[in-house]
This record gives sequence, C-alpha cells and structure tokens, in this order.
Amino acid sequence: MMFRIWLIAKDEWRYWRRSHLAMTVLMIAVVLAIASVVVTFSTVSLAAHQRAHLQSQAEQKFVEQPDRHPHRMVHYGHYLFRTPPPLGRLDPGVDAYTGTAIFLEGHRQNGATFSGQQHSAGLNWLSALSPAFVMQILTPLLLIVMGFGVMTREREAGTFDFLKIQGVSPLMLTIGKGVALAGAGFAVLIPVAVGALITLFYGSSILSVSAFVFSYALYVGFWCALVLLVSTLSRSHVGSFSALIIVWVVTCLVLPRIATNTAVVTVHSPSKLETDFAVLQKLREMGDGHNANDPAFKALKDNLLAKYNVDSVDELPVNFKGIVAQKSEADLTDVLNDFAEQKMEEGVAQAKVARQFGWLSPAIAIQTASMKLAGTDLENYQRFLREAEAVRFAFVQSLNKLHAEGLSYADDVNKYQSHETLQKAKVSANNWQVLSDFHFVPLPAAERFAGSIQALLQLFVLWLVVSIGVVLAGRRQ
Amino acid sequence: MTDPVISADALHVSVGNKTILKNVSFTARRGEVLALLGGNGAGKSTTIKTFLGLMTPSAGTANLLGQNVQLQPDIVRQKVAYLPESVMLYGHLNAVENIRYFLSLAGKEKTDDDIALALKKVALQPHAWQTRLQSYSKGMRQKTAIALALLRDAPILFLDEPTSGLDPVAIDEFNGLISQLASQGATILMVTHDIYGACHVANRIGLLRHGELVGMFDAPQDGNIDAEVVHQAFTQGLK
Repeated sequence: MMFRIWLIAKDEWRYWRRSHLAMTVLMIAVVLAIASVVVTFSTVSLAAHQRAHLQSQAEQKFVEQPDRHPHRMVHYGHYLFRTPPPLGRLDPGVDAYTGTAIFLEGHRQNGATFSGQQHSAGLNWLSALSPAFVMQILTPLLLIVMGFGVMTREREAGTFDFLKIQGVSPLMLTIGKGVALAGAGFAVLIPVAVGALITLFYGSSILSVSAFVFSYALYVGFWCALVLLVSTLSRSHVGSFSALIIVWVVTCLVLPRIATNTAVVTVHSPSKLETDFAVLQKLREMGDGHNANDPAFKALKDNLLAKYNVDSVDELPVNFKGIVAQKSEADLTDVLNDFAEQKMEEGVAQAKVARQFGWLSPAIAIQTASMKLAGTDLENYQRFLREAEAVRFAFVQSLNKLHAEGLSYADDVNKYQSHETLQKAKVSANNWQVLSDFHFVPLPAAERFAGSIQALLQLFVLWLVVSIGVVLAGRRQ
Repeated sequence: MTDPVISADALHVSVGNKTILKNVSFTARRGEVLALLGGNGAGKSTTIKTFLGLMTPSAGTANLLGQNVQLQPDIVRQKVAYLPESVMLYGHLNAVENIRYFLSLAGKEKTDDDIALALKKVALQPHAWQTRLQSYSKGMRQKTAIALALLRDAPILFLDEPTSGLDPVAIDEFNGLISQLASQGATILMVTHDIYGACHVANRIGLLRHGELVGMFDAPQDGNIDAEVVHQAFTQGLK
C-alpha cells in the first residue's frame, strides 16, 4: 500500500513538473520563502546589532556626563532599546508596530518609539515580507493553486475509475495526493525551518525552535488536508478552486479583522487621549515634586522634622528637596503604573478575545503560536515595558537618593545665586554609575511554549477535524 | 465442461428509480470471447462496470472465477484487464510512462522490451511512444490502452467498445489479437456496436435490449456467427 501511495504522490509531482503553472507557482513560493528568510534574517540581525550598539552607546553617554546637579541627570534621561529575540528573525511579530526604544526620564513614563510602522506611511504590512507572512498567508494560496484539482482532475478525466480497477482504493489515491501536496507545502517550509535552526546559534532554545517549526508544519498540514478535502468533495475543478479561495479569504483576511474588531468592542479600552487626561488629573492632585514647599508634602516635612528632632528643613541631615523628589517619584510611579497596568491588561484581554477566533481561523492560531514562540507577541512587548519601567524607577530613585544624601539643602536652594554656588550644587560624575546593564530577553522558552499551547491545540484540532473529513470523504468515493 | 470464468446470475442494476439491467444471466468459459451487442442505453457498459465492481447490483450476482465481485472487488480486480470506451489515461505522460505507471499500481513489473513488444503488437508507431498522450488521436490512445490491457497478463479482459476510433487496419489487427489471446486461454467480455467485428471474433454474442438479454448466438464449431442473422435480430429490436 505504501508503495502505491508513493507512486501516486510521485506521479502528482511529475504532473506538476510538466504543468508550467504549478511549477512556476511553487518556484515563486520557494524563492519568496528563501528571500524572506534571508532578508528578514539579515534585517533583524542588523537591527539587533544596532540596538545593542545604541544601548551601550546610551549607557556610555550617560556615564560620561560631567559633574551635574543630580536632578538634571534625572531629566537628561536614558534610552533603552529592545533587542529582538533570535526567532524574531523569522517572525518579527508586533515589533514593526510597537516602538523599539524608550526614553527614560524622571516623572514620566514615555511610550516606546521608533516603530517600523511609523516610518513606512502605514504600508509596513505590505513591505514586510517576513517568513511568517509567507508561511501564514501566501503558502495556503500556493497549496490551493497546486492542489485544487488533485482529485477533481481524476474525476473529470475519468481516470478515477480506471485507477480503482488497477487496485487503487479511493482512500489510497486521496492519501497519495495528500503526500504530494504536503511535499509542496514542506518545500516552502524548509527555508523557514533552516532559518529557525540557524537561530540556535543566536541563542534560541531547542524547545522554541522545534515548537516553532512544528506549529508551521501543523499549519501546512491543515491546508494540505483542507485542499484535499474540498477537491475530493467538489464536482468540478472550478467549484473546488472557488470554494478554496473563499475559505482562504475568510480565514486569512476577513476573520482576523473580525477578531480584532470583536475584541475592541467586547473589551472597552479608553483612548490614549482619555488616559492621558486621567493621568494628568491624578498627578495634579499629588503636588509638584520640584517644589519642596508644595502643601502636598507638608506631612512628609513634619514627619521628617519630628524624626530628626529639628525645627527646620535647613537643619535636616538630608536634603529635603531630594527627599521630596524621592517621595514624589514613588507616588507618581504608583499612579503611572496603575494606569499602565490597566492599559496592558486591557490589551491582553482584547488579545485573548481575538485569539479565541483561532478555533475558526488557522491563520489566527498560527499567528498567535508563532509570535508567542518567537517571543515577539504582545505579552513579551509588555514585559519589555515593565522591565524598562523598573530600570527607569531604579535609576531615577538612585539619582534622587544622591540628591538627598550627596548634596546639602543649603547648596541646593542657593544654587542660582552665583557661578560658585551653581558649581557647589553639583555632584561628581563618578556618581553616574547608577545604570545596570540592560539587555532585554523574552520569556524563557518553557514559558513561551506554555503560552502557545492553546494556539497549538487550535491548530491540531482544526487539522484533525479536516483530516477526519478527508478520510471519510476518501472512503465514500 | 470447465467452470465459467465470467458469470452473471439474474443481474439487476438500478440507478435511482431507473432500471438499467433486468435479470441478466450469462456465462463465459475459459478461452471464450463473449460479445454483448445492443443499442445506446441497452446496458452494455453497465454490465462491464458491474463486473468491475464500479456499480452495485440491486439483485443477482456477478462472479469472476467463481468469486462474487461485490464481496471481494480488490481480489477479483487483480485478475482483470479493462479497456474503457473512452480511454482514461494521463495526458501528461507518454505511452510508455502511462503503461509503466498503471502496471506499477496494479503490482505488475514489466521490462522495457515487454512494453515495446506490446506497443508493437497494437501497431502504435514507435515515434509516438515518447510523446505525451495529450497530443494523441483517439485511436492512438486506444492502442496504448490495449497495450496496457495486454501487459496486465490478466486471465479476464473486459473491453468496452474496443475498436471505436481505430482505423480499419488497426481493427483487423486488434481482432487478430483478441483471437490470439483467447486461444491462449484468456476469457474476454466485450461490448460493442460493431456487429461484423463481433461476429468475426466472438464465440458467443448476447443481444441486450433495454437492459434485458433478449438473445444469445453461438458460433458453430468450425466458423463464425452469421452476421446477417445477428444484424436482423438487432435491427428488429430497434424497429
């Protein structure tokens, strides 16, 4: 039986080799896959290298600053760059739409900036021909063009009955055609699989790479089975082609949009403007951290005077302005974090709603699995934002501590009286070593895999259902 | 008398509400050529398709070598070669590739010499052997299919309008081949419109009309069936 299946698959390939359309389509798909792997791999590798370089440059520039007032360094700020994960070379995920760098400074949580989408007039989705895009959107089209007639052709030419008489059962014929179709799908998958293996040298884990390749194999398997099923059930090749194109449009183009819109409607998230106003309103109630005499800090002042048993802030052993800056930053960060967390939770809730559509659309399921395994999904981006905020808070508070303990209150309040007093209100540049080496890494491989299980399950269930359909349809012929 | 190789026993075949074959019974023994004659829609092709297991009888049985086709279609098909009315071979393959592919699927291995011999037997021009079938005429396709049927080495041959599309010379050569195969022990069931061709090669001729077997003509010991008698019976039915 295996020999006959192999023969049927081999003959299908011979048919494709001799049919210029099928061979041309396959060649284009394979070349596109190779080109997308090479281009995206080198582009993302270059971006990773540049960001790592810019990161160390930003750190270097910060520590090279001359003697300054600590609060000036708080506003001088620092940049953090998001280095793409190794598998991001094959699926850049949300990287193109979210920022890649964050400017960290006191009293503010800036958003990430410098996204590919911002610099491509909104056409990034067209120009970014990533391996993920080729596999998720174009490979199903290839399989449709190559396979819509695998079964209808036999029926229309009358060879179906003739094959039966040679002892070829309908199921055997169906499986043979399926093997041929899978060969075409895997021909496109090979460059991506090779690219995934190469990422092992860039720090990818074996688990992530195996699961990444497996998820795409499952996706290709689903489309092979679907093309086979529709071709088996259709009476004519025109009907088969039309039905498959409709399924492709619905699952790859329409359902992802419906999923996004449904998520936005079901999980309400205030607009950026609304959030910004709400944050501003809340911050106004907290007092101005730059003004130590702001009534909002009266309790702090009283507590401090009582603690050190003195009558005025001039007598405190610490710089009250620095203490106010520390307190203000901590309170402000709590508020900003509350809003940021709420925003991120809303984003995750919306993503979860959209991901449920993966039970209907394999394209949504593979997008989720691929980005999660690559570490380029929304959650990993939020992880970057949280890590960046932790770095921001730590370095700002280090400088505020220096402000409180390394500079006297008297020198601080009198700094604008003369050139000399201004010089006295500075601390040594040796104190700028407050930055820790930052290198963003996505979640550990095991956690990324755990996060992708639902999407993998969706793909598996869809593949299984369609495969059972193929077997039943094959037997019924 | 040997056991019948092909045997239809009260065959009744319906498609939907339409009855195609009604109570058809006949036998063919080893080395016999049985021709079924009939007009369009008489049930000739249905008879062959039932023996090939492609159609299921609603009553009666179709047996080959004593085995019920419906119960063991795969086993029975191994003993059968079939030449369809419209040749169903692959246009993207040449004659040799078609033959080799279908033989491999049927589990038969033949050498290049065997295939060349079969193609010569059916008088397919050697220059056409390596040309894809999509550019073949109907007759050339027919010859390729006949070569394939010969190479199956099957003890039973089903031929559905085997000479349609063949030129007169090729028809003569084909009839000669049929006689030769029968003399070597093959049992052949052919359905045809060609009364004179059938009378030339068949030992027995059955006349089908509206799904019923209305007559059976046997060849005399030392000659052919009288074509005029068959022709008269055939045309009477049409009137």
